[in-house]
Amino acid sequence: MAEDRKKQTEFSKAIEPHLTSLYNTALRMTRNQHDAEDLVQDTLFKAYRAIDQFKKDTNFRAWIFRILINTFITGYRKSIKEPQKISFDDLEEFYLFKRLDETTELQEVSKDDFLENLFDDDIKSALESLPYQFRLVVLLCDVEGFSYNEIAEIIDAPLGTVMSRLYRGRKLLQRYLWNYAKQRGYIGDDFKQKK
Amino acid sequence: MTSNKKSEHKDHFDCADVEKYVQQYLDNVLDEEKRRLFEEHIEYCLPCDKKVEFERKFKEIVRLKVKNLEPPETINSKLKDLLKNIQ
Repeated sequence: MAEDRKKQTEFSKAIEPHLTSLYNTALRMTRNQHDAEDLVQDTLFKAYRAIDQFKKDTNFRAWIFRILINTFITGYRKSIKEPQKISFDDLEEFYLFKRLDETTELQEVSKDDFLENLFDDDIKSALESLPYQFRLVVLLCDVEGFSYNEIAEIIDAPLGTVMSRLYRGRKLLQRYLWNYAKQRGYIGDDFKQKK
Repeated sequence: MTSNKKSEHKDHFDCADVEKYVQQYLDNVLDEEKRRLFEEHIEYCLPCDKKVEFERKFKEIVRLKVKNLEPPETINSKLKDLLKNIQ
């Protein structure tokens, strides 16, 4: 009994600092609060049951994220509508910079303004529009700050796959943001296409 | 000499190399030699330097705007209760 109590307290202490990141990652992956909450709960139960398999002095944060991601993939992914076929044809490096550059003779400051004027919601919804494999690695790397190796461990994929999804995901994100900006008229008179 | 071999023995980076390696550069995963060549190039190539800076800023903006918010209070207390009573 006292053993159980100790195990529970230790588990709780280990998890608590990661609760916010787990919830936010769950929210970006499931795209709604209700599923995000369920996903985190499922993750906590699974982690608790498996805690004896966690090797002390290894990466706890990566371990718990791995459980979250596996739980998402096996239980939640199917219910999520994924975008139709995605074309990677025009996905070049510096996608956004080049589009901004093509549209007008912009001063340096205007490109920075463009980035700073993007709304949180635009970036969040652009991110949420990415197919989940891409969304996942971009979140883990750029928001959660995991290294390539940690991400490879979390999603159980080779390093090369992590890198290619990450780089494509970021470019795709730029393309979506560019499209939003056009749709919502952020690209105004100052951004007329160069002849 | 194969083209692969050539690229391994580059003694300078051109604009195409910057495009190829920019993400790895910004993620701090380039090996020392490539990092040096990369930085040498952007030091004298202003257009590349601007692009790399823009990309750095883009990464930063994504991080800032998607930053982690505390879960809503109701969810937060539910999760914490769950942790207290988990078995």
